[in-house]
Amino acid sequence: MVFITEQEILETVNMIRSENLDVRAVTMGISLYDCSERDVRRTAERIHAKIVRRAGRLVSVAHEIEEKYGIPIVNRRVSLTPIAHVVGSDDPAAYVEVAHALDAAAEEIGIDFVGGFSCMVQKGMTRGDTALIEAIPEAISSTRRVCSSVNVASTRAGINMDAVVRMADVLLAVSKMTVADDCIGAAKIVTFCNVPEDNPFMAGALHGSGEPEVSINVAISGPGVVRNVVEHHPEASLIELADLIKRTTFKITRVGELVAREASQMLDAQMGIIDLSLAPTPAVGDSIAEILESMGLEQVGAPGTTAALAMLNDAVKKGGTMATSSTGGLSGAFIPVSEDAAMAKAAADGVLSIEKLEAMTAVCSLGLDMIVVPGDIPRNALAGMIADVMAIGMINSKTTGARLIPAHGKKVGEWVTLGGLFGEAPVMSVSRAGNDAFVERGGRIPAPLQSLTN
Amino acid sequence: MRTTVIVTALGPDSHGLLAQVAVTVAEHNANIDDVSQTVANGMFTMIMFVSFDQTETTMADLKDALEKTGERVGLQIHVQHENIFKFMHRI
Repeated sequence: MVFITEQEILETVNMIRSENLDVRAVTMGISLYDCSERDVRRTAERIHAKIVRRAGRLVSVAHEIEEKYGIPIVNRRVSLTPIAHVVGSDDPAAYVEVAHALDAAAEEIGIDFVGGFSCMVQKGMTRGDTALIEAIPEAISSTRRVCSSVNVASTRAGINMDAVVRMADVLLAVSKMTVADDCIGAAKIVTFCNVPEDNPFMAGALHGSGEPEVSINVAISGPGVVRNVVEHHPEASLIELADLIKRTTFKITRVGELVAREASQMLDAQMGIIDLSLAPTPAVGDSIAEILESMGLEQVGAPGTTAALAMLNDAVKKGGTMATSSTGGLSGAFIPVSEDAAMAKAAADGVLSIEKLEAMTAVCSLGLDMIVVPGDIPRNALAGMIADVMAIGMINSKTTGARLIPAHGKKVGEWVTLGGLFGEAPVMSVSRAGNDAFVERGGRIPAPLQSLTN
Repeated sequence: MRTTVIVTALGPDSHGLLAQVAVTVAEHNANIDDVSQTVANGMFTMIMFVSFDQTETTMADLKDALEKTGERVGLQIHVQHENIFKFMHRI
Protein backbone atom coordinates (compact mmCIF):
# COMPACT_ATOMS: atom_id res chain seq x y z
CA MET A 1 0.00 0.00 0.00
CA VAL A 2 1.33 3.43 -0.95
CA PHE A 3 1.70 5.60 2.13
CA ILE A 4 -0.06 8.93 1.83
CA THR A 5 0.20 11.43 4.65
CA GLU A 6 -2.76 13.09 6.34
CA GLN A 7 -1.48 16.44 5.19
CA GLU A 8 -1.46 15.30 1.55
CA ILE A 9 -4.98 13.92 1.83
CA LEU A 10 -6.32 17.11 3.33
CA GLU A 11 -4.46 19.19 0.74
CA THR A 12 -6.20 17.32 -2.08
CA VAL A 13 -9.62 17.59 -0.43
CA ASN A 14 -9.10 21.30 0.18
CA MET A 15 -8.02 21.94 -3.42
CA ILE A 16 -11.29 20.47 -4.66
CA ARG A 17 -13.60 21.86 -1.98
CA SER A 18 -12.25 25.35 -1.45
CA GLU A 19 -10.02 26.25 -4.39
CA ASN A 20 -12.13 25.24 -7.40
CA LEU A 21 -9.80 22.47 -8.57
CA ASP A 22 -11.52 20.72 -11.42
CA VAL A 23 -10.93 19.01 -14.71
CA ARG A 24 -12.05 21.66 -17.15
CA ALA A 25 -12.90 19.38 -20.05
CA VAL A 26 -12.81 15.81 -21.21
CA THR A 27 -12.89 16.09 -24.97
CA MET A 28 -13.31 13.14 -27.31
CA GLY A 29 -11.65 13.63 -30.68
CA ILE A 30 -13.36 11.69 -33.47
CA SER A 31 -12.06 11.19 -36.99
CA LEU A 32 -14.71 11.77 -39.65
CA TYR A 33 -12.70 10.78 -42.72
CA ASP A 34 -14.81 7.64 -43.15
CA CYS A 35 -18.04 9.67 -43.19
CA SER A 36 -17.43 11.40 -46.49
CA GLU A 37 -20.05 10.67 -49.16
CA ARG A 38 -20.84 12.21 -52.52
CA ASP A 39 -24.30 13.23 -51.25
CA VAL A 40 -24.09 15.89 -48.51
CA ARG A 41 -27.24 14.72 -46.73
CA ARG A 42 -25.80 11.23 -46.50
CA THR A 43 -22.50 12.66 -45.18
CA ALA A 44 -24.38 14.61 -42.51
CA GLU A 45 -26.26 11.45 -41.48
CA ARG A 46 -23.06 9.44 -41.22
CA ILE A 47 -21.35 12.14 -39.15
CA HIS A 48 -24.34 12.30 -36.81
CA ALA A 49 -24.39 8.52 -36.43
CA LYS A 50 -20.65 8.30 -35.77
CA ILE A 51 -20.69 11.01 -33.09
CA VAL A 52 -23.59 9.32 -31.31
CA ARG A 53 -21.98 5.88 -31.63
CA ARG A 54 -18.51 6.85 -30.39
CA ALA A 55 -19.36 9.58 -27.88
CA GLY A 56 -22.74 8.31 -26.69
CA ARG A 57 -21.25 7.23 -23.35
CA LEU A 58 -18.97 10.25 -22.88
CA VAL A 59 -21.26 12.02 -20.42
CA SER A 60 -22.00 8.96 -18.29
CA VAL A 61 -18.34 7.88 -18.17
CA ALA A 62 -17.26 11.39 -17.11
CA HIS A 63 -19.91 11.26 -14.38
CA GLU A 64 -18.64 7.87 -13.17
CA ILE A 65 -15.10 9.26 -12.91
CA GLU A 66 -16.36 12.33 -11.05
CA GLU A 67 -18.08 10.11 -8.50
CA LYS A 68 -15.13 7.75 -8.12
CA TYR A 69 -12.49 10.41 -7.49
CA GLY A 70 -14.62 13.24 -6.17
CA ILE A 71 -13.21 15.62 -8.77
CA PRO A 72 -15.62 17.78 -10.80
CA ILE A 73 -15.40 17.44 -14.58
CA VAL A 74 -16.89 20.69 -15.81
CA ASN A 75 -17.33 20.03 -19.51
CA ARG A 76 -17.68 17.04 -21.81
CA ARG A 77 -17.08 17.84 -25.43
CA VAL A 78 -16.38 16.42 -28.85
CA SER A 79 -13.85 17.63 -31.41
CA LEU A 80 -14.00 16.56 -35.02
CA THR A 81 -11.96 16.33 -38.19
CA PRO A 82 -12.16 19.79 -39.80
CA ILE A 83 -15.48 19.67 -41.63
CA ALA A 84 -13.96 21.17 -44.79
CA HIS A 85 -11.87 17.97 -45.09
CA VAL A 86 -14.98 15.80 -44.97
CA VAL A 87 -17.59 17.67 -46.97
CA GLY A 88 -16.55 18.03 -50.59
CA SER A 89 -18.90 20.79 -51.65
CA ASP A 90 -18.54 24.38 -52.78
CA ASP A 91 -22.09 25.24 -51.67
CA PRO A 92 -22.27 27.06 -48.30
CA ALA A 93 -25.74 25.56 -47.72
CA ALA A 94 -24.20 22.09 -47.60
CA TYR A 95 -21.97 23.15 -44.70
CA VAL A 96 -24.89 24.69 -42.84
CA GLU A 97 -26.74 21.39 -43.18
CA VAL A 98 -23.77 19.55 -41.69
CA ALA A 99 -23.58 22.10 -38.84
CA HIS A 100 -27.19 21.27 -37.98
CA ALA A 101 -26.32 17.57 -37.91
CA LEU A 102 -23.43 18.31 -35.50
CA ASP A 103 -25.75 20.34 -33.28
CA ALA A 104 -28.36 17.58 -33.21
CA ALA A 105 -25.75 14.94 -32.37
CA ALA A 106 -24.31 17.11 -29.56
CA GLU A 107 -27.77 17.58 -28.10
CA GLU A 108 -28.55 13.89 -28.35
CA ILE A 109 -25.45 12.84 -26.37
CA GLY A 110 -25.85 15.67 -23.86
CA ILE A 111 -22.67 17.71 -24.45
CA ASP A 112 -22.51 21.51 -24.49
CA PHE A 113 -20.15 22.05 -27.43
CA VAL A 114 -18.87 20.27 -30.50
CA GLY A 115 -15.82 21.70 -32.26
CA GLY A 116 -14.45 21.24 -35.74
CA PHE A 117 -16.58 23.36 -38.02
CA SER A 118 -13.19 24.30 -39.32
CA CYS A 119 -10.73 24.62 -42.16
CA MET A 120 -7.00 25.24 -42.62
CA VAL A 121 -6.31 28.07 -45.04
CA GLN A 122 -2.93 29.42 -44.00
CA LYS A 123 -1.56 29.11 -47.51
CA GLY A 124 -4.69 29.35 -49.59
CA MET A 125 -8.33 28.43 -49.80
CA THR A 126 -9.93 25.57 -51.68
CA ARG A 127 -13.47 26.02 -53.01
CA GLY A 128 -14.67 23.95 -50.07
CA ASP A 129 -12.80 26.14 -47.56
CA THR A 130 -14.28 29.26 -49.13
CA ALA A 131 -17.79 27.81 -48.88
CA LEU A 132 -17.27 26.74 -45.25
CA ILE A 133 -16.07 30.21 -44.23
CA GLU A 134 -19.04 31.74 -46.02
CA ALA A 135 -21.32 29.36 -44.13
CA ILE A 136 -19.94 30.17 -40.66
CA PRO A 137 -22.31 33.06 -39.78
CA GLU A 138 -25.42 31.05 -40.68
CA ALA A 139 -24.05 27.83 -39.18
CA ILE A 140 -23.12 29.43 -35.85
CA SER A 141 -26.17 31.64 -35.49
CA SER A 142 -28.61 28.84 -36.28
CA THR A 143 -27.07 26.28 -33.90
CA ARG A 144 -26.41 26.28 -30.15
CA ARG A 145 -23.52 23.88 -29.66
CA VAL A 146 -21.37 24.16 -32.77
CA CYS A 147 -17.98 25.89 -32.54
CA SER A 148 -15.89 27.01 -35.46
CA SER A 149 -12.19 27.66 -35.98
CA VAL A 150 -10.18 28.70 -39.00
CA ASN A 151 -6.39 28.47 -39.19
CA VAL A 152 -5.27 31.46 -41.26
CA ALA A 153 -1.56 31.51 -40.44
CA SER A 154 1.39 29.34 -39.52
CA THR A 155 5.13 29.73 -39.00
CA ARG A 156 5.65 27.50 -42.03
CA ALA A 157 3.26 29.28 -44.40
CA GLY A 158 2.94 32.88 -43.21
CA ILE A 159 -0.32 34.78 -42.82
CA ASN A 160 -3.09 34.49 -45.39
CA MET A 161 -4.33 38.08 -45.25
CA ASP A 162 -7.22 37.38 -47.61
CA ALA A 163 -8.49 34.81 -45.11
CA VAL A 164 -7.92 37.23 -42.23
CA VAL A 165 -10.16 39.79 -43.94
CA ARG A 166 -12.82 37.15 -44.54
CA MET A 167 -12.75 36.22 -40.87
CA ALA A 168 -13.26 39.87 -39.93
CA ASP A 169 -16.33 39.87 -42.19
CA VAL A 170 -17.52 36.64 -40.58
CA LEU A 171 -17.24 38.08 -37.07
CA LEU A 172 -19.13 41.23 -37.99
CA ALA A 173 -21.86 39.20 -39.68
CA VAL A 174 -22.29 36.66 -36.90
CA SER A 175 -22.33 39.34 -34.23
CA LYS A 176 -25.16 41.10 -36.05
CA MET A 177 -27.07 37.82 -36.47
CA THR A 178 -26.78 36.96 -32.74
CA VAL A 179 -27.35 40.48 -31.40
CA ALA A 180 -30.38 39.26 -29.41
CA ASP A 181 -27.97 37.09 -27.36
CA ASP A 182 -25.37 39.83 -26.84
CA CYS A 183 -23.48 38.76 -29.98
CA ILE A 184 -22.57 35.40 -28.47
CA GLY A 185 -21.98 33.86 -31.91
CA ALA A 186 -18.56 35.50 -32.17
CA ALA A 187 -17.49 33.82 -28.91
CA LYS A 188 -17.79 30.48 -30.68
CA ILE A 189 -15.37 31.34 -33.48
CA VAL A 190 -11.57 31.26 -33.19
CA THR A 191 -9.09 32.48 -35.80
CA PHE A 192 -5.79 30.63 -35.34
CA CYS A 193 -2.12 30.69 -36.14
CA ASN A 194 -0.40 27.29 -35.74
CA VAL A 195 -3.62 25.59 -34.65
CA PRO A 196 -2.97 22.50 -32.49
CA GLU A 197 -4.51 19.25 -33.73
CA ASP A 198 -5.33 17.93 -30.27
CA ASN A 199 -6.67 20.90 -28.33
CA PRO A 200 -9.43 19.94 -25.86
CA PHE A 201 -10.56 23.53 -25.19
CA MET A 202 -13.48 25.16 -26.97
CA ALA A 203 -14.13 27.03 -29.13
CA GLY A 204 -10.98 26.01 -30.98
CA ALA A 205 -11.00 22.23 -30.56
CA LEU A 206 -10.57 20.11 -33.67
CA HIS A 207 -9.32 16.58 -34.39
CA GLY A 208 -6.37 16.96 -36.74
CA SER A 209 -5.33 14.79 -39.65
CA GLY A 210 -2.48 13.20 -37.67
CA GLU A 211 -4.77 12.04 -34.88
CA PRO A 212 -6.04 8.49 -34.23
CA GLU A 213 -9.55 7.25 -34.95
CA VAL A 214 -10.82 8.29 -31.51
CA SER A 215 -8.89 9.98 -28.73
CA ILE A 216 -9.46 11.43 -25.29
CA ASN A 217 -7.86 14.79 -24.53
CA VAL A 218 -8.11 16.31 -21.09
CA ALA A 219 -7.92 19.95 -20.12
CA ILE A 220 -6.82 20.60 -16.57
CA SER A 221 -7.54 23.75 -14.66
CA GLY A 222 -7.02 25.14 -11.20
CA PRO A 223 -6.18 28.87 -11.14
CA GLY A 224 -7.69 28.98 -7.65
CA VAL A 225 -5.20 26.41 -6.35
CA VAL A 226 -2.22 28.29 -7.79
CA ARG A 227 -3.55 31.60 -6.50
CA ASN A 228 -3.91 30.19 -3.01
CA VAL A 229 -0.29 29.00 -2.99
CA VAL A 230 0.96 32.36 -4.23
CA GLU A 231 -1.18 34.27 -1.75
CA HIS A 232 0.13 32.24 1.19
CA HIS A 233 3.77 32.97 0.39
CA PRO A 234 4.14 36.76 0.27
CA GLU A 235 7.71 36.39 1.52
CA ALA A 236 8.85 34.06 -1.29
CA SER A 237 11.41 35.33 -3.78
CA LEU A 238 10.53 34.91 -7.45
CA ILE A 239 12.70 31.78 -7.73
CA GLU A 240 10.96 30.29 -4.71
CA LEU A 241 7.57 31.32 -6.07
CA ALA A 242 8.28 29.64 -9.41
CA ASP A 243 9.17 26.48 -7.53
CA LEU A 244 5.93 26.58 -5.53
CA ILE A 245 3.88 27.05 -8.71
CA LYS A 246 5.69 24.14 -10.35
CA ARG A 247 4.94 21.84 -7.42
CA THR A 248 1.29 22.85 -7.50
CA THR A 249 0.80 22.41 -11.23
CA PHE A 250 2.49 19.04 -10.98
CA LYS A 251 -0.27 17.91 -8.65
CA ILE A 252 -3.04 19.41 -10.76
CA THR A 253 -1.68 17.77 -13.89
CA ARG A 254 -1.47 14.37 -12.23
CA VAL A 255 -5.23 14.52 -11.72
CA GLY A 256 -5.62 15.21 -15.45
CA GLU A 257 -3.39 12.23 -16.24
CA LEU A 258 -5.47 9.96 -14.02
CA VAL A 259 -8.73 11.11 -15.60
CA ALA A 260 -7.35 10.78 -19.14
CA ARG A 261 -6.10 7.24 -18.54
CA GLU A 262 -9.35 6.11 -16.99
CA ALA A 263 -11.66 7.83 -19.48
CA SER A 264 -9.77 6.58 -22.53
CA GLN A 265 -9.84 3.02 -21.22
CA MET A 266 -13.54 3.16 -20.39
CA LEU A 267 -14.43 4.69 -23.75
CA ASP A 268 -12.19 2.42 -25.82
CA ALA A 269 -10.29 5.42 -27.16
CA GLN A 270 -6.62 6.23 -27.43
CA MET A 271 -5.32 8.46 -24.66
CA GLY A 272 -4.45 11.72 -26.34
CA ILE A 273 -2.99 14.63 -24.45
CA ILE A 274 -3.18 16.56 -21.22
CA ASP A 275 -3.48 20.28 -21.89
CA LEU A 276 -1.42 22.06 -19.23
CA SER A 277 -3.48 25.19 -19.19
CA LEU A 278 -4.71 27.38 -16.39
CA ALA A 279 -8.16 28.33 -17.60
CA PRO A 280 -10.16 30.86 -15.60
CA THR A 281 -13.90 30.96 -15.07
CA PRO A 282 -15.96 34.00 -14.10
CA ALA A 283 -16.22 32.61 -10.53
CA VAL A 284 -14.39 34.68 -7.93
CA GLY A 285 -11.14 32.95 -7.01
CA ASP A 286 -10.86 31.10 -10.31
CA SER A 287 -8.92 33.79 -12.09
CA ILE A 288 -5.54 34.23 -13.78
CA ALA A 289 -5.66 37.96 -13.09
CA GLU A 290 -5.99 37.23 -9.37
CA ILE A 291 -2.87 35.04 -9.47
CA LEU A 292 -0.92 37.91 -11.03
CA GLU A 293 -2.34 40.28 -8.44
CA SER A 294 -1.37 37.86 -5.66
CA MET A 295 2.15 37.92 -7.07
CA GLY A 296 2.24 41.61 -6.19
CA LEU A 297 0.58 43.63 -8.94
CA GLU A 298 -2.03 46.09 -7.74
CA GLN A 299 -4.18 45.17 -10.71
CA VAL A 300 -3.63 43.16 -13.86
CA GLY A 301 -2.37 45.53 -16.56
CA ALA A 302 0.07 47.28 -14.24
CA PRO A 303 3.68 47.56 -15.45
CA GLY A 304 5.25 44.15 -14.83
CA THR A 305 2.14 42.20 -15.86
CA THR A 306 3.81 40.62 -18.89
CA ALA A 307 6.82 39.58 -16.81
CA ALA A 308 4.65 38.07 -14.08
CA LEU A 309 2.56 36.20 -16.65
CA ALA A 310 5.68 34.90 -18.41
CA MET A 311 6.93 33.46 -15.15
CA LEU A 312 3.57 31.94 -14.26
CA ASN A 313 3.16 30.38 -17.70
CA ASP A 314 6.65 28.89 -17.68
CA ALA A 315 6.31 27.47 -14.17
CA VAL A 316 2.95 25.89 -15.08
CA LYS A 317 4.54 24.13 -18.04
CA LYS A 318 7.60 22.98 -16.11
CA GLY A 319 5.50 21.50 -13.32
CA GLY A 320 3.06 19.95 -15.77
CA THR A 321 5.62 18.26 -17.99
CA MET A 322 7.00 16.38 -14.99
CA ALA A 323 3.53 15.02 -14.31
CA THR A 324 2.66 13.61 -17.71
CA SER A 325 4.43 12.45 -20.84
CA SER A 326 1.40 13.35 -22.94
CA THR A 327 1.45 17.11 -23.11
CA GLY A 328 -0.29 18.88 -25.95
CA GLY A 329 -3.09 21.18 -26.97
CA LEU A 330 -2.63 24.81 -26.04
CA SER A 331 -0.73 24.32 -22.75
CA GLY A 332 -0.36 27.76 -21.22
CA ALA A 333 -2.17 30.24 -19.01
CA PHE A 334 -5.26 31.69 -20.69
CA ILE A 335 -6.16 35.36 -20.60
CA PRO A 336 -9.78 35.51 -21.83
CA VAL A 337 -11.10 38.85 -20.64
CA SER A 338 -14.82 38.08 -20.30
CA GLU A 339 -14.18 34.67 -18.71
CA ASP A 340 -11.99 36.14 -15.95
CA ALA A 341 -13.91 38.52 -13.67
CA ALA A 342 -10.80 40.29 -12.37
CA MET A 343 -9.50 40.79 -15.90
CA ALA A 344 -12.83 42.22 -17.05
CA LYS A 345 -12.78 44.60 -14.07
CA ALA A 346 -9.25 45.76 -14.93
CA ALA A 347 -10.43 46.44 -18.48
CA ALA A 348 -13.43 48.41 -17.17
CA ASP A 349 -11.16 50.38 -14.81
CA GLY A 350 -8.97 51.37 -17.75
CA VAL A 351 -5.94 49.56 -16.30
CA LEU A 352 -5.86 46.77 -18.89
CA SER A 353 -5.79 47.78 -22.56
CA ILE A 354 -5.94 45.75 -25.75
CA GLU A 355 -2.33 46.72 -26.43
CA LYS A 356 -1.25 45.28 -23.06
CA LEU A 357 -3.23 42.11 -23.75
CA GLU A 358 -1.41 41.83 -27.06
CA ALA A 359 1.95 41.98 -25.26
CA MET A 360 0.72 39.37 -22.77
CA THR A 361 -0.21 37.14 -25.70
CA ALA A 362 3.46 36.92 -26.65
CA VAL A 363 4.28 35.05 -23.43
CA CYS A 364 1.26 32.81 -22.88
CA SER A 365 -1.72 31.16 -24.47
CA LEU A 366 -3.96 31.93 -26.32
CA GLY A 367 -4.15 35.41 -27.79
CA LEU A 368 -6.65 38.23 -27.88
CA ASP A 369 -9.29 36.05 -26.31
CA MET A 370 -12.88 36.93 -25.46
CA ILE A 371 -12.32 40.61 -25.99
CA VAL A 372 -15.35 42.74 -26.74
CA VAL A 373 -14.81 45.56 -29.26
CA PRO A 374 -17.20 48.31 -30.41
CA GLY A 375 -19.92 47.14 -32.79
CA ASP A 376 -19.07 49.86 -35.29
CA ILE A 377 -15.43 48.77 -35.58
CA PRO A 378 -14.37 49.00 -39.24
CA ARG A 379 -13.83 45.65 -40.95
CA ASN A 380 -10.19 46.45 -41.66
CA ALA A 381 -9.49 47.46 -38.05
CA LEU A 382 -10.81 44.06 -36.95
CA ALA A 383 -8.70 42.36 -39.62
CA GLY A 384 -5.65 44.32 -38.43
CA MET A 385 -6.19 43.15 -34.85
CA ILE A 386 -6.42 39.53 -36.00
CA ALA A 387 -3.30 39.93 -38.16
CA ASP A 388 -1.34 41.32 -35.20
CA VAL A 389 -2.17 38.28 -33.09
CA MET A 390 -1.33 35.95 -35.98
CA ALA A 391 2.05 37.69 -36.41
CA ILE A 392 2.98 37.00 -32.77
CA GLY A 393 2.24 33.30 -33.25
CA MET A 394 3.98 33.11 -36.61
CA ILE A 395 7.23 34.75 -35.49
CA ASN A 396 7.39 32.98 -32.12
CA SER A 397 6.47 29.55 -33.52
CA LYS A 398 3.57 29.24 -31.10
CA THR A 399 -0.19 28.96 -31.23
CA THR A 400 -2.10 32.19 -31.07
CA GLY A 401 -5.78 32.76 -31.55
CA ALA A 402 -8.18 35.64 -31.80
CA ARG A 403 -11.65 35.44 -30.29
CA LEU A 404 -12.99 38.94 -30.78
CA ILE A 405 -16.58 39.92 -30.21
CA PRO A 406 -17.86 43.00 -32.03
CA ALA A 407 -20.71 44.16 -29.79
CA HIS A 408 -23.27 45.22 -32.33
CA GLY A 409 -24.92 48.49 -31.28
CA LYS A 410 -22.67 49.00 -28.25
CA LYS A 411 -20.01 51.59 -27.49
CA VAL A 412 -16.80 51.59 -25.43
CA GLY A 413 -17.50 51.07 -21.72
CA GLU A 414 -20.88 49.36 -22.14
CA TRP A 415 -21.01 45.80 -20.81
CA VAL A 416 -21.80 42.65 -22.73
CA THR A 417 -23.16 39.63 -20.84
CA LEU A 418 -22.40 36.39 -22.64
CA GLY A 419 -23.54 34.13 -19.84
CA GLY A 420 -22.25 30.99 -18.15
CA LEU A 421 -18.55 30.28 -18.50
CA PHE A 422 -18.31 32.95 -21.22
CA GLY A 423 -18.82 35.58 -18.51
CA GLU A 424 -19.18 39.30 -19.16
CA ALA A 425 -16.90 42.13 -20.23
CA PRO A 426 -16.88 45.81 -21.08
CA VAL A 427 -16.49 46.98 -24.67
CA MET A 428 -12.80 47.91 -25.00
CA SER A 429 -11.34 50.78 -26.93
CA VAL A 430 -9.57 50.10 -30.25
CA SER A 431 -7.27 52.56 -32.01
CA ARG A 432 -9.14 54.41 -34.76
CA ALA A 433 -6.04 55.03 -36.86
CA GLY A 434 -6.67 53.71 -40.37
CA ASN A 435 -5.00 50.68 -41.96
CA ASP A 436 -7.05 50.27 -45.15
CA ALA A 437 -4.14 50.55 -47.57
CA PHE A 438 -2.18 47.86 -45.70
CA VAL A 439 -5.00 45.38 -45.30
CA GLU A 440 -6.31 45.84 -48.84
CA ARG A 441 -3.00 44.95 -50.42
CA GLY A 442 -4.23 41.38 -50.00
CA GLY A 443 -2.26 38.20 -50.53
CA ARG A 444 -0.05 36.57 -47.99
CA ILE A 445 2.57 37.72 -45.52
CA PRO A 446 5.42 35.35 -46.36
CA ALA A 447 6.65 32.71 -43.96
CA PRO A 448 9.37 34.11 -41.70
CA LEU A 449 12.96 32.99 -41.51
CA GLN A 450 11.96 30.88 -38.49
CA SER A 451 10.21 28.52 -40.93
CA LEU A 452 13.52 27.39 -42.37
CA THR A 453 14.57 25.02 -39.62
CA ASN A 454 15.89 22.11 -41.69
CA MET B 1 -11.84 -7.26 -6.31
CA ARG B 2 -10.98 -5.16 -3.27
CA THR B 3 -11.32 -1.41 -3.48
CA THR B 4 -9.83 1.13 -1.10
CA VAL B 5 -11.43 4.52 -0.63
CA ILE B 6 -10.43 7.40 1.58
CA VAL B 7 -13.18 8.94 3.67
CA THR B 8 -12.60 12.46 4.98
CA ALA B 9 -14.97 14.17 7.39
CA LEU B 10 -14.86 17.77 8.54
CA GLY B 11 -17.20 19.74 10.75
CA PRO B 12 -17.99 21.04 14.24
CA ASP B 13 -17.18 18.54 16.98
CA SER B 14 -19.85 16.68 18.93
CA HIS B 15 -20.15 13.35 20.76
CA GLY B 16 -20.00 10.09 18.82
CA LEU B 17 -19.08 11.37 15.36
CA LEU B 18 -16.44 8.73 14.66
CA ALA B 19 -18.81 6.04 15.93
CA GLN B 20 -21.57 7.15 13.59
CA VAL B 21 -19.25 7.00 10.58
CA ALA B 22 -17.85 3.63 11.69
CA VAL B 23 -21.34 2.15 12.03
CA THR B 24 -22.23 3.20 8.48
CA VAL B 25 -19.03 1.59 7.18
CA ALA B 26 -19.78 -1.62 9.10
CA GLU B 27 -23.36 -1.74 7.79
CA HIS B 28 -21.92 -1.97 4.28
CA ASN B 29 -19.57 -4.86 5.15
CA ALA B 30 -16.60 -2.57 4.57
CA ASN B 31 -13.45 -2.60 6.67
CA ILE B 32 -11.65 0.27 8.37
CA ASP B 33 -7.96 -0.24 7.51
CA ASP B 34 -6.72 2.90 9.20
CA VAL B 35 -8.25 5.92 10.87
CA SER B 36 -7.04 9.14 12.42
CA GLN B 37 -9.03 11.95 13.92
CA THR B 38 -8.28 15.20 15.68
CA VAL B 39 -10.30 17.98 17.24
CA ALA B 40 -8.79 21.45 17.10
CA ASN B 41 -10.62 24.63 18.09
CA GLY B 42 -13.88 22.71 18.15
CA MET B 43 -13.44 21.39 14.58
CA PHE B 44 -13.52 17.67 14.00
CA THR B 45 -11.24 16.28 11.26
CA MET B 46 -11.18 12.60 10.38
CA ILE B 47 -9.39 10.56 7.73
CA MET B 48 -10.38 6.93 7.29
CA PHE B 49 -9.00 4.31 4.90
CA VAL B 50 -11.87 1.96 4.07
CA SER B 51 -11.67 -1.16 1.94
CA PHE B 52 -14.44 -3.41 0.70
CA ASP B 53 -15.06 -6.25 -1.67
CA GLN B 54 -17.09 -5.22 -4.68
CA THR B 55 -19.26 -8.29 -4.27
CA GLU B 56 -20.29 -6.98 -0.82
CA THR B 57 -21.02 -3.35 -1.62
CA THR B 58 -20.39 -0.69 -4.27
CA MET B 59 -18.57 2.57 -3.95
CA ALA B 60 -21.72 4.43 -4.98
CA ASP B 61 -23.80 2.81 -2.17
CA LEU B 62 -21.14 3.40 0.48
CA LYS B 63 -20.64 6.98 -0.64
CA ASP B 64 -24.35 7.68 -0.63
CA ALA B 65 -24.76 6.22 2.87
CA LEU B 66 -21.77 8.08 4.31
CA GLU B 67 -22.92 11.38 2.80
CA LYS B 68 -26.34 10.86 4.38
CA THR B 69 -24.69 10.09 7.74
CA GLY B 70 -22.67 13.30 7.32
CA GLU B 71 -25.82 15.32 6.72
CA ARG B 72 -27.45 13.81 9.80
CA VAL B 73 -24.56 14.51 12.20
CA GLY B 74 -23.42 17.83 10.69
CA LEU B 75 -20.23 16.70 8.95
CA GLN B 76 -19.05 17.24 5.40
CA ILE B 77 -18.04 13.76 4.32
CA HIS B 78 -16.14 13.00 1.13
CA VAL B 79 -15.47 9.55 -0.26
CA GLN B 80 -12.78 9.27 -2.92
CA HIS B 81 -10.97 6.36 -4.53
CA GLU B 82 -7.41 6.16 -3.17
CA ASN B 83 -5.87 6.52 -6.64
CA ILE B 84 -6.50 10.27 -6.82
CA PHE B 85 -4.25 10.75 -3.79
CA LYS B 86 -1.62 8.34 -5.08
CA PHE B 87 -1.54 10.03 -8.47
CA MET B 88 -1.41 13.54 -7.10
CA HIS B 89 1.33 13.00 -4.54
CA ARG B 90 3.45 10.09 -5.85
CA ILE B 91 4.94 9.07 -9.18
